[in-house]
Amino acid sequence: MLEILQNNWLLFLIGQYPHGPIGGLAMTLFMASISLALCFPFAIGLALARLSPYRWLRLPATAIVHTVRGLPLIMFIFWTYFFSPLIIGRAVGGVETLVIALVVYEAAYLSEIIRAGIEGLPKGQVEAATSLGLRYWPTTIKIVLPQALHNMLPSMVSQFVSTIKETSLGYVISAHELTFAAAQVNNVLLTQPFEVYGILALTYFALCFALTSLARFIERRISAGRGGTPGVMVAA
Amino acid sequence: MIRFENVEKWFGPLQVLADVSGEVRRGEVKVLVGPSGSGKSTLIRTVTRLERIQGGRVLVGGADIAARGLDINRLRQRVGFVFQAYNLFPHLSALGNITLGLTKLRRMSRAAARERAMEELARVGLTEKANEMPGMLSGGQRQRVAIARSLAMDPEVMLFDEPTSALDPEMVGEVLVAMKRLAAGGMTMICVTHEIGFAREVADEIWFMEAGKVIERGRPAELASASAHPRLAGFLHMVGHHR
Repeated sequence: MLEILQNNWLLFLIGQYPHGPIGGLAMTLFMASISLALCFPFAIGLALARLSPYRWLRLPATAIVHTVRGLPLIMFIFWTYFFSPLIIGRAVGGVETLVIALVVYEAAYLSEIIRAGIEGLPKGQVEAATSLGLRYWPTTIKIVLPQALHNMLPSMVSQFVSTIKETSLGYVISAHELTFAAAQVNNVLLTQPFEVYGILALTYFALCFALTSLARFIERRISAGRGGTPGVMVAA
Repeated sequence: MIRFENVEKWFGPLQVLADVSGEVRRGEVKVLVGPSGSGKSTLIRTVTRLERIQGGRVLVGGADIAARGLDINRLRQRVGFVFQAYNLFPHLSALGNITLGLTKLRRMSRAAARERAMEELARVGLTEKANEMPGMLSGGQRQRVAIARSLAMDPEVMLFDEPTSALDPEMVGEVLVAMKRLAAGGMTMICVTHEIGFAREVADEIWFMEAGKVIERGRPAELASASAHPRLAGFLHMVGHHR
């Protein structure tokens, strides 16, 4: 196993770069990060729409979230893969395809996290802002979102962990990421699939475990912070 | 300044305000007392439309707050509201809590807003806590910051919804001092409170509410006479007993 790692660690880390496209762990992390970053505004929009008093905003947003959450990610990957060339009019690479599919998929999940964060805030926060005379947007931007996002940081890190694991599905459309790199190594060695995929599993695990621990750490810090502010708990 | 005209409010099938009328003139301090669930908080919350009413009218400065075309957010800037749970913004410092409204609504520069906020913090005796986060302040200090936050907007009226009920006993005094000073300065105020000593000292009139109605009104000096206000006297006796 060590020997395999010694001979192929660079491929695992960055793919064939600089002789080919960048890939491996670097691409996995890049795709997970960029997907989460790009889906963020959509997720906030969906969450706010789902909490809107206006039916014409609430109903479509709810429908989108339920639909996306009710379908497997691989469906979105196939849809994007086969349909986006038709729409855009040119071939779309594996990485772009995966990122588009992930943005759509993750936006639905992240919006539920954000919605829970907003609903979890004490009602008094919005009332206090309203009483000052602040309108919807200043209240949302200055009071609601900063607190909701802060409180939901652990869940967002967990969502990032899921996203990292989901990028492995990029393998089916030849997106050059970590699983793809492992498959390449396996194709060269032919006889050691157990070891190669063992390395793959360990890499995912180490990365995700570290991030999950980070999420737990943040969670403890936040709940400690809440313990210091009992004022919000007594809202009658 | 504020007039309630036959105000009616239901929460579903439950009527929480039943035909409430009354007037608060400029510079007056009214204190609302009564058992919990009697509608005191709901009544003052109708003034800035934190609660909608189903019947009657609420007028602020002569304007119906439910009128079409009335800018409710502008009106809310003129009416300060202090909550039982303080409702400070926990992610902003004491100073940040106060400057938010000034920079966002009054369009003040950062420097001007800061100066104005420090003035108000000085008034409630918390200059040295300006940069503390609410989580680091005691309950009494938080409530004083909340009062300063409202006052910074230069309101014409201040509404207090049980401002000392969530406080430990030793902190009640500091908040009441701030409120008394405000009353002495001529601020129009409506206070929901169980602090009878405060009511006696500061109130122009006490309204006693029960089951969504104002059933007795009187000057604090008349409170002693149980014959004129039997229900109020009974309630005060009971409250006094538990303290």
